[in-house]
Amino acid sequence: MEDVLKNLAEARPPVPEVDAARMERDLARIIALPRERPVRKQFVRRFAPLAVVAAVITLVVVALPAPPQPVQPAAPAPWWRVLRQQTSLMVVGEPAKPYVVRFGSKTDQWQAGNREIAVVQKDGEVKPYARDDDAAWEAAGRPEVVPQLGGSRSVRIGPMAPAVQESYVSGLSLTSAYWERLESFDDLPADPAGMRAKLQPEEKGAYELADLVMAVMIANVRDDQRRGGFELLKSLDGARYLDHVRLPSGGEGVGVAIPAPPQFQFSGVETWFVINPGTGKPVLKRNVLTSSQHGLPVNTPISEEQYLLLEKTNVEPVLPLGVPVNGKVESPIIER
Amino acid sequence: MEDFSAVYRECYPRVLAYAACHAGPRLAEDITSETFTIAWRKSGQMPSNALPWLLGIARNLVRAAHRQTTTYELTDFPADDDFAVIELRAALSSLSEADQEVLTLIAWHGLAAAEAAQVLGCTTATFFVRLHRARRRLQAALWTPKFDSARESWKTS
Repeated sequence: MEDVLKNLAEARPPVPEVDAARMERDLARIIALPRERPVRKQFVRRFAPLAVVAAVITLVVVALPAPPQPVQPAAPAPWWRVLRQQTSLMVVGEPAKPYVVRFGSKTDQWQAGNREIAVVQKDGEVKPYARDDDAAWEAAGRPEVVPQLGGSRSVRIGPMAPAVQESYVSGLSLTSAYWERLESFDDLPADPAGMRAKLQPEEKGAYELADLVMAVMIANVRDDQRRGGFELLKSLDGARYLDHVRLPSGGEGVGVAIPAPPQFQFSGVETWFVINPGTGKPVLKRNVLTSSQHGLPVNTPISEEQYLLLEKTNVEPVLPLGVPVNGKVESPIIER
Repeated sequence: MEDFSAVYRECYPRVLAYAACHAGPRLAEDITSETFTIAWRKSGQMPSNALPWLLGIARNLVRAAHRQTTTYELTDFPADDDFAVIELRAALSSLSEADQEVLTLIAWHGLAAAEAAQVLGCTTATFFVRLHRARRRLQAALWTPKFDSARESWKTS
């Protein structure tokens, strides 16, 4: 037992080298940001007796019988809910006989202030993508676990187990390092130039900026900010306007296509970001092939998320029964 | 500001390592940058031993990353690791997320028990109980027939 931790220490994944230039650049950017003002202890000490008196008065007033109140308007909706239907493709199997599987699941996400609750892998399943892929899987003996092509892991075919995660992180994480600026969307300019200046205080690639703008448009922002975001996407280097995109749910949307960086197993990819022209709300983000790869033709969506719901709601999060909050997520991608 | 810069330079590699281990190398630098951005904003609350506090922030960001990352972007490890290491990681990943956190904070990130307890927001006594149980479960996972070969290879190495 004593050696378990020692052996585990030797199994630590490799850690990237510190990029000293980036480290110093980030430090310079961070210390240029404003800080939260610390509460002044002296101030608190001086006014504490007054605060106690005020609290007593408030208590007395609250305890008095209240006159009949007029009907109050409903409280503002506390949750921002995003329900996504996600799909992605992965090439699996032996190198001589590869085939494609499709991951499909929903992510149901509620955010209120710093609190975020998400149900991931909801209604999730991994299965062969097309009829030929199904035949290849059958010919391989319908394995439950298949190796990734060109990766070090395997994929579990079949249903996924849902998981519930709760955290207290606000803002737009991971799309950029501009956490401080995006903590609140209230002061995000709605005009494309102002928005660009706010989101891109230093030079970033067109795709990084596009990714950030898309994240803003999915978040709890105003309609005019969404419209500004879409205009900004259209103006980016390499962006192409899409005036008729057929939606999986029927109907058509308008969107922007922008060249995307290579992804696992696929190069030659562009991202389509499609909105409902009536409401301005995003309906689809899709990565499509710009060249035929692994037997998949041009314009095949290799990953996609449809936004089934983007709304403010008073309804409390609906969680699956019997699934512990922050329990283990059983990913369909497993160690080989 | 000098204090923050000193803490930043001292703790950056540790936070980067934490982020890389739990969210993968691709996201590690962004998570580290965001961790220190939040730390700067809340620097009035920064304790004198800042590392556990910083890892607590990074931990929340890693969780957020897991929710936002699409399935094919999940953390991947190089395929050239030796068999014992692969088996040990497999045993680790068979444990609950809570057990994995307890074990890796000690074994991978070199924290003392009191520091690891601070990251997880529990008392040191509770942490020791959790660590003991997690070690027992990891040991049990390794002693299943599936992991016999890994155990043998450690004996001979």
